[in-house]
Amino acid sequence: MPRFVWLCLLAAAATAFAAEPEFTLAIRDHRFAPAEIRIPANQKVRLVVDNQDATPEEFDSHALNREKVIPGRTKAVIFVGPLAPGRYPFMGEFNAASAQGAVIAQ
Amino acid sequence: MRARRAFAALAAVVSSTLAHAGPDDYVVMPTVEYGEREIELRIGAVSADDGEPRASAASIAFGYGVTPWWATEIYGKWHRDGSTSFDAIEWENRFQLTEPGQYFVDVGFLVEIERPRDRAEGYELRIGPLLQKDVGPVQTNFNVLLERHYRSSEPAVTELGYQWQVKYRWREAFELGAQGFGEVGKWNDWASASAQEHIAGPAIFGKLKLGGRHAIKYDAAVLFKLSDAAPRQTWRAQIEYEF
Repeated sequence: MPRFVWLCLLAAAATAFAAEPEFTLAIRDHRFAPAEIRIPANQKVRLVVDNQDATPEEFDSHALNREKVIPGRTKAVIFVGPLAPGRYPFMGEFNAASAQGAVIAQ
Repeated sequence: MRARRAFAALAAVVSSTLAHAGPDDYVVMPTVEYGEREIELRIGAVSADDGEPRASAASIAFGYGVTPWWATEIYGKWHRDGSTSFDAIEWENRFQLTEPGQYFVDVGFLVEIERPRDRAEGYELRIGPLLQKDVGPVQTNFNVLLERHYRSSEPAVTELGYQWQVKYRWREAFELGAQGFGEVGKWNDWASASAQEHIAGPAIFGKLKLGGRHAIKYDAAVLFKLSDAAPRQTWRAQIEYEF
């Protein structure tokens, strides 16, 4: 019986994680692609940031309260939301002149 | 089973006197910034009840985000109580256990070891979970910390303390909020309410970006006594240069 309960809990957790929509954002030549990414409002999402440059970048957003260093040629997962509808700017802190973008929650 | 044994061993090790949150104490965050180096200055002063002299403390630290989940920092600490003297060396380790926003609360863990200059105080260990919850533009933190002296001349007990912080993330360069610190006594046998120390008050925070990896972060608070045993007023401030 306990095993059954654990299996149910694991299944529920797996379903919960699987339910989060995933969006991908690339960093290429010190720019975000796409520069603006649209996500559903009022829902948590997984933002996979794929740093295709050889150098590290820091995803930095005061609006989203997220700061994460992504080493060169690696991917990182950043959990965003649930967000009220609106525009939430982010930047690459190490290359702020070019690496600018925004999450649009709608 | 192995985890339960490890927890039991840890609880046994961390089980012995009421420590006091120093005026230069600060609310520890559960997140780690990988590869970030920082030089940090913390200062604080305590105004005790009428007639007692004012005491102050300061510390200088160097910190580094060694991995995406582990940041370490070495502090030199001084205090002034009539005259200025070196107080202790402290080694702080923060472990980020969850990705921000992944679960209902963000969780980290603190392991801090202090070696006071006064060898009779032995070593001081402080450990505990670091919790954070964001609700819209409001960030809340709550940390529960156990503290105990080892190899000290006095019989040691494990004391329970806490820290909390609420801030409204208004502008990156200037945010408003409140902070509080407290000690309740022995972890499993709390002191009477009049012997516990609780302080809280308004705080400001901010980060000034200087370009690239360089930034200056600050926070400061004025904390007022909420219990008889607490100092009348505590001022604390922290400024760090990140690079």
